[in-house]
Amino acid sequence: MSANTKKMISDNMIWGVLVLLIIIMSIGNKNFLSLANFKTLLTGEAIKGVMAFGVAFAILTKGIDLSIGASAALIACVTGALVQSADYSSKILPGVGQFPAVAAILVGLLMGAAIGLIQGSIIAYTMMPAFIATLGGQLVCRAAAKIFTARPVSNLSDGFRFLGSAQIGPLPVIVLVFVVIFALAAFILGQTRFGKSLYAIGGNDQAARVAGINVQRNLVLTYVWCGTLAALAGIMLAGRAGSADPASSGLNYELDAIAAATVGGTSHTGGVCRVSGVLCGVLIMGVINNGLVLLGVDDNFTNIIKGVIIVVTVAFDMKKNTKKA
Amino acid sequence: MKKKVIASILAGVLALGMLTGCGGGSASSSSDSGASSETSAEGTEGETASDSEGGANVTLIMSSRDEFLSTLEAGALSAAEEAGISLTTQDAQNDQSKLLQYVETAKNNGNDAVIINLVDADAADAAVEAAGDMKVVFVNRRPSDAGILNENVVYVGSDEMQSGGYQGEYLAKYFNDQKKTDISYLLLKGTEGLVHTEQRTESVLKGLEDGGINAQEASAPLVADYDRATAQDMITPLITTKEYDCIIANNDAMALGAIEALKAANIDPSTIPVVGIDATVDGVQAVENGELYMTVFQDADGQGYGACMAVSNMLQGKAINEGTDFELAEDNEFISWVPFEPVTADNYTDYQ
Repeated sequence: MSANTKKMISDNMIWGVLVLLIIIMSIGNKNFLSLANFKTLLTGEAIKGVMAFGVAFAILTKGIDLSIGASAALIACVTGALVQSADYSSKILPGVGQFPAVAAILVGLLMGAAIGLIQGSIIAYTMMPAFIATLGGQLVCRAAAKIFTARPVSNLSDGFRFLGSAQIGPLPVIVLVFVVIFALAAFILGQTRFGKSLYAIGGNDQAARVAGINVQRNLVLTYVWCGTLAALAGIMLAGRAGSADPASSGLNYELDAIAAATVGGTSHTGGVCRVSGVLCGVLIMGVINNGLVLLGVDDNFTNIIKGVIIVVTVAFDMKKNTKKA
Repeated sequence: MKKKVIASILAGVLALGMLTGCGGGSASSSSDSGASSETSAEGTEGETASDSEGGANVTLIMSSRDEFLSTLEAGALSAAEEAGISLTTQDAQNDQSKLLQYVETAKNNGNDAVIINLVDADAADAAVEAAGDMKVVFVNRRPSDAGILNENVVYVGSDEMQSGGYQGEYLAKYFNDQKKTDISYLLLKGTEGLVHTEQRTESVLKGLEDGGINAQEASAPLVADYDRATAQDMITPLITTKEYDCIIANNDAMALGAIEALKAANIDPSTIPVVGIDATVDGVQAVENGELYMTVFQDADGQGYGACMAVSNMLQGKAINEGTDFELAEDNEFISWVPFEPVTADNYTDYQ
């Protein structure tokens, strides 16, 4: 085999794993390969998938963002409270009228960007490990959500729920959002200077700095991107369920998103990330989640299988990347 | 070298395939109708589905897997066996979005009905929507909007106005026996905003009033979030400084926290009536020790049993409580109440 073919195979190995899993699942239960089930699978993974495209950028720069599940919950609660129907008797914000859906969503996205800006600045300018900065962010966001409201936020306007629960023809909007974010992430990482800078920073931040890349500004932008996508995910989450719960919404979603990005070949040693790989990672997680339910596998075993797959793929990845170096 | 890696990955995936194959193996043993292959009770859940000749396929989706809900699951499985239903359980791990995904997956898999223990009582309509043509039975956690209930969507649970009512009734009798009509109490409340917190509180006060007792709260309300340690910390400064005749708690954990606080302050708990709800193992033990005056048993097994029987009845077009001892709500035929039971020094041995 030529070096090029080898590289192509190793780069796309992950898709082979996905196909194999699909074959196994469809042999196990013939309802797996139905259109309706495919829709269920994508709908279920779309929220965490959007988060995965965000956190993959952070991982690419040797960082991480542990705050995204909690910030999604905070933003789900706040934006949800803004769009509660005006005649609902137990409104969270009784004095505030009902916002138009678009305005509430914009407020949410800006909040997410602001959270990312704060965390990104801390990481970039104090050199604090991203793990610590965003762990702090997670605690603050979750607590803020619980302070904001003690009870679930429900009775949300239909316009607001559009992103999470509407359908255009046969296509759920939530899946459409996921696909759009995928395309946007692929464009940013592959076609823009910002994207190319991230690869350089992740590969070697000293070299990147010497080459004239503004490392700090790019790092801040990375976390703004990540925070904005977390906000979008929170809005999708509230829209899908029709309610946002300060305590349980988005709980541990960051770990699922990180797992999907990691399985998709994003290297925690930095400098390696393919957006198509992250997409594949999201789909693999979806096939496991959905397929094992259809096979009637106990949910504890589902988690064991997920754990094994994460560790095995990363072990393989580490090997590949160290050899290159 | 690369080949080796490829080989090991393939081996890993195949091993996984075998693992999942095992899960599927016991599941497919019960698919007989051919209309749709199905999942069924697996490994831990026993052989409930082996005789489901033409039986219905149902998925039970629990908000999480705690002690109470595991008992509920056992009750549902025993009813499933009785009614020839093939029942699978999923754990939504406190994630409403995951719960919806399980509902949709059950629909895709050709299930006839889903039994849902909601994560978020406000989000019941999304679950009904996701269920499509399947019958839906909500169990234990009541949808906050009763308007969504109809002949295809029902609720099986316990009436929380009854649980506090038993506490109130007991305390009223206790004080009436002492010829006391004006009393003061300390109240340990559960998490604010939850329907059952409000109903437990409202109904115990109503029970006291109905028993002819004029009750005054001895302090500001103590919101201890159903947590034992929190309750103990909150009540400790009050028990030696306030005048009170009894301690009311929305659950056993907080009642036990209060008892710990009394003991730490060298007050014999048997001299002050402390009442709880739930009849947990520790709660019943405290009743036996004479520390907890009474608690109220919530019948998890009965709720699971009632929910699964409701599925069976709905599929046959019968009233949802048929074949059970449970009563329908007076104002709503789509609610079946599983009764609470008071637990005192006279009958605690029945609940051990």
